[in-house]
Amino acid sequence: MAEEITIMKQAGGRKIVVADSAAGMDERSKGDVFVDGSHCGRNVGDMTLHSGVGAMIGNDAGMGKNDAGVVALKMCDEKGIPAAAVAAMSAKIGSGKSTYEQGKISVVNETAKKMGVTVGMSAKEAADKMLQALVKK
Amino acid sequence: MTHEVHKVVRESGGLRVVIADSATSITEDNKNDIVVDASHCGANIADYVLKGGARGMIGNDAGIGLENAGIGSLAILDKKGIPAAAVASKSAEIGVGTSTYQEGVISVANETAKKMGVAVGMTAKEAADKMLQALAKK
Repeated sequence: MAEEITIMKQAGGRKIVVADSAAGMDERSKGDVFVDGSHCGRNVGDMTLHSGVGAMIGNDAGMGKNDAGVVALKMCDEKGIPAAAVAAMSAKIGSGKSTYEQGKISVVNETAKKMGVTVGMSAKEAADKMLQALVKK
Repeated sequence: MTHEVHKVVRESGGLRVVIADSATSITEDNKNDIVVDASHCGANIADYVLKGGARGMIGNDAGIGLENAGIGSLAILDKKGIPAAAVASKSAEIGVGTSTYQEGVISVANETAKKMGVAVGMTAKEAADKMLQALAKK
């Protein structure tokens, strides 16, 4: 059963899509900016890389032990995928809509930084920056 | 939904304790299981537990976060009589199920779990055992 995804924006054949869980990443969102309510742990890194999404924004889950909550960002960086996390105190984990509408970026990988994403930016703005950069590619 | 092969770590009275990285991998195959996973315990996670019919759940509190969203599913599961608890995000690596089970220390437990003897400060392993013992007696 496919998870529900919502298209928030479209440009140049790419989209910003929102879902509660990173488990919703699949071929529907190939090349798109995927904003979700999941943590950014190791298994979410695997899901991001295997699904072929173009970019990812999730929740930092309070960072946690060994910064496990944002490990996916580095994994994505190694593959040139822009990724960022919102602070757990800025958005409700488990809610993609909250990530997108309330989230404030707390951690950004190098690929996303090059696209203009910065700490403190709203998730919405960060997703826009990623979308713009991906469309130009 | 994510496909995962769950590791069975304990069996008793027809029930099992299984480990998963993600709660999104819970299916009807887990209807006799206490699932110990490494997802946050947000409200959406309750859907996966209830749809699969899992008997108990232990996840990660994800630092609790905005409006206690990181543990939102515990109260939802409590209303359905399902024991559920979360480990502190500083005690175990979120996203890694074996870390929850082997390193996790309980930070929050719902009322159903508390009645089974699960307490804050307990290891996840011990909490899963308490749930297994209580459910096997039912």
